[in-house]
Amino acid sequence: MGLLYPGALIFLALVPVLVLAYLAKERPSRVTVSSVLAFRALRGFRRERFGGRPRLDWMFFVEALILMLAVLALAGPFIWRSSNPIAVVIDNSASMQALTPAGKSRFDIAREKLDKALSAEDGDGEISIYVTAPQPRRVAPPYKSLAEARFELARIKPIDAPNDQTTLSSFLSNLAESRVSKVIFAGANALEAPVPPRIHAIAVGDAVANLAIGSFTLRREALGAEALHASLTVANFSPETHTLEIVLRGDGKEIARAKEPLAARETGVLEFQALPPARVYEAHLSPADALPLDNVAYAVGGSIKAVSILFISPTPADAAGLNAIPGVAVTARTPDAYTPDDLATVDLAIFEYATPKELPAVNAMIVMPPPGDAVFGLNVTPAAQVAIAGWGKTGTLTDSVNFRLLSLRGGEYFGTHPWMSEVIAGDGGALMLKGERGGHRFVATGFNPFPYLGKRNLPMSVLTLNAISYLAGLGGSSIENRTGQPWLVPAGVESVILPSGKKIASKPGTLFTEVSEQGVYEMIGPGTARTPRAVNLDDLTVSDLASTPALKIESASAGSSPAPVMEKSSLSDYLLAALIALIALEAVIVYRRRHRMAEAL
Amino acid sequence: MFGLPDELTPSFLARLEKLRIRTRQQYAGMGRGMHLSPKRGSSLEFSDFRQYSPGDDFRYIDWGLYGRTDKLYIKLFQEEEDLLTYVFVDASASMGFPAGDRKFESAIMTALSVAYVALASGDRVMMRILGGTGAALNPSFVYGQHRIVELARRMQGLKPGGQFDFATALAHELVAIRRVGKVFIISDFLMLLNSITRGLGLFTAASMDLTAVQILGGREINGQGLDGDLEIVDSESGERLRVSIGERERTQYRETMMRLTREIKSFCFKRGLHYALYTTDTDFQKFFLRAASDLGLAH
Repeated sequence: MGLLYPGALIFLALVPVLVLAYLAKERPSRVTVSSVLAFRALRGFRRERFGGRPRLDWMFFVEALILMLAVLALAGPFIWRSSNPIAVVIDNSASMQALTPAGKSRFDIAREKLDKALSAEDGDGEISIYVTAPQPRRVAPPYKSLAEARFELARIKPIDAPNDQTTLSSFLSNLAESRVSKVIFAGANALEAPVPPRIHAIAVGDAVANLAIGSFTLRREALGAEALHASLTVANFSPETHTLEIVLRGDGKEIARAKEPLAARETGVLEFQALPPARVYEAHLSPADALPLDNVAYAVGGSIKAVSILFISPTPADAAGLNAIPGVAVTARTPDAYTPDDLATVDLAIFEYATPKELPAVNAMIVMPPPGDAVFGLNVTPAAQVAIAGWGKTGTLTDSVNFRLLSLRGGEYFGTHPWMSEVIAGDGGALMLKGERGGHRFVATGFNPFPYLGKRNLPMSVLTLNAISYLAGLGGSSIENRTGQPWLVPAGVESVILPSGKKIASKPGTLFTEVSEQGVYEMIGPGTARTPRAVNLDDLTVSDLASTPALKIESASAGSSPAPVMEKSSLSDYLLAALIALIALEAVIVYRRRHRMAEAL
Repeated sequence: MFGLPDELTPSFLARLEKLRIRTRQQYAGMGRGMHLSPKRGSSLEFSDFRQYSPGDDFRYIDWGLYGRTDKLYIKLFQEEEDLLTYVFVDASASMGFPAGDRKFESAIMTALSVAYVALASGDRVMMRILGGTGAALNPSFVYGQHRIVELARRMQGLKPGGQFDFATALAHELVAIRRVGKVFIISDFLMLLNSITRGLGLFTAASMDLTAVQILGGREINGQGLDGDLEIVDSESGERLRVSIGERERTQYRETMMRLTREIKSFCFKRGLHYALYTTDTDFQKFFLRAASDLGLAH
């Protein structure tokens, strides 16, 4: 037996205080009797008698016991007892949807084997059930009975997201080291020897032939062009050569078809040129195989959506070139004519040589802001000639920009900014910053990319299109969104409809984590505005059902026999029950005593 | 029934009618009755002889004696008269405690029962209340069996209260009543023995036949419900005592109470007085009928 908080025993010092209180209490009950004649023969208060002892009746001992039990309960007494808690880990990742030659999915087989394994256990300990995808987690508090655990197991279904193998290894390792007597892991991956003694692995990842679509990306044929170019990665994870046929559909209609012969374990890329505009594109692979999930992929033509821009500038004519970009509608306004209400109907705003008086309610680009800006706190240093010193090699804003050909003239450098990060660095400070505030994206440039000149200034035009695309918050490629990977909710999105049809409220700027399903998610903005977002499995390592790598579990106790699991069993509940019983007893005694007294009077 | 306490049921009253008050002396009454009077009268009870005087009733001449002595003697017989019965009920504050014991109500029942016995025997009854609150009873005799209802109604509004010196109060009553007779004093007698003996002694000195009926509560006599540290307050004097009562103290208290009652009983026996103790936790009817002899009643 031990105590969680032995320091609480200091409150036992209250027991002498209780005794003193009993000694000191001067509140005898007053009773009127017919005559005190017969009482005169009795001696006075015992405690008032010389050398007498206090009157410590059994009520006193009840109260002392209550006090001591309360102190003991505060100290958190516990006893060690051996227990047999079991952790059940079932792999619910996408690869578990694969059908085996027996006609059952890997998941169903894993569940059956788990059920058998659980039946063989004593069943005297708690059973915790964990799933592995998208991140390992316990599905519910530990179950007390085998029946409850079985019921919960029957409810679990595999999702479209893959496992994070590193996290899963680490999770199993931690679980094996935790206070469980046994970890039963059922999944596609076998465990690499030596397996920690507490882990009992059930591997259901037998080799299955599979054909898969990997990535499905859309790009423009040319900058500003309407036509799209699709790239699909396909793979043949089977021991035989197969001719894979891909059918592309745009908004449900077939728009392209291609065949690709692939040798065993070969990966190929299919390109589709000049695809007509569509809202949602689907790629379907045939022939059918064991894992239908990776035979479909989705992409959305997000950049084709008309982007409405409000251009605020003392020289509104600079916005003229933007109208040449397909799908872009620009409204120009001078700073004097601008009001924040103008932002209600646009997707983004561009402030040229101007800054708003309050943080805009849409994504915005600030071009060469005048000094003294109070809203963004941009610290600007004008320069007659600015020069680029460096830029982010990867990123939406700098993607495909040939900075060596980008010539800048006069502009201004930005000082260090508290919440905006540097995208393009110059000799005298940052030349381009980006950041997010209040759920909106903001880009500030120390040079002026306007007027938009299109192909006449290609590097600047690409940079401008990147900025507009970034600020519009709409990706044109499916590669960014994979099942199991949360994404940031774009500005203006109030809710998201999952591919299954379930609608989930969302808040701009927060991570959207309900990403277990493959398909097209509809982001709902104000009114009826809907923006699709494609989320794909897009993981050929998952699709490779022929070779499932073994998981390596790093465990300090690997190879040694499992020590018995001892767990602390708190006695506080029993003490509290005893306390309540004693308090009730005291209440009954006091009531009866008063009742008797009242009767006597 | 008719304002009588519930305990005075018709069957009980019928049994009371078979009782009569017994006295150790003969007292002059106020009218004809069933008790021998010290007066010469016309009862069948021979009393004495005296010489014939002109005018005496010839019927009472003892002709046998005349034959032997040649002198005329008149046979004298005792008079039978009613008995003047005084019932004193202690209504001091102590009779109201413990409230649950209904001591005063028991005292009233006892008084009414005694009064009914007297009225049913053709005696006269004067009921007097010592202390208490409520309408005072007239110091007059009532006569006739039916008057019990009137007595009961008069006593309904009485409540115990106040404090008085027992001996002094009885002395005042004795002066007021003037005529001797049978006296019942109903009280808890929870007072100094000296005061009791002085009070009762007044009546014995006045040649009155006296019955002391002590009424004690069942809980009172056992100290039931008294436990722990208590401040005991005297209901009459307000005197306060602080005591710790446990089982031992309760035993000691019970013994003291019993000793007090024994002392009163002993005094009564020594003085030739009747004494009866009624504890309120017992059945009243059984007590009254079984203790009739102790109460100075006879069948």
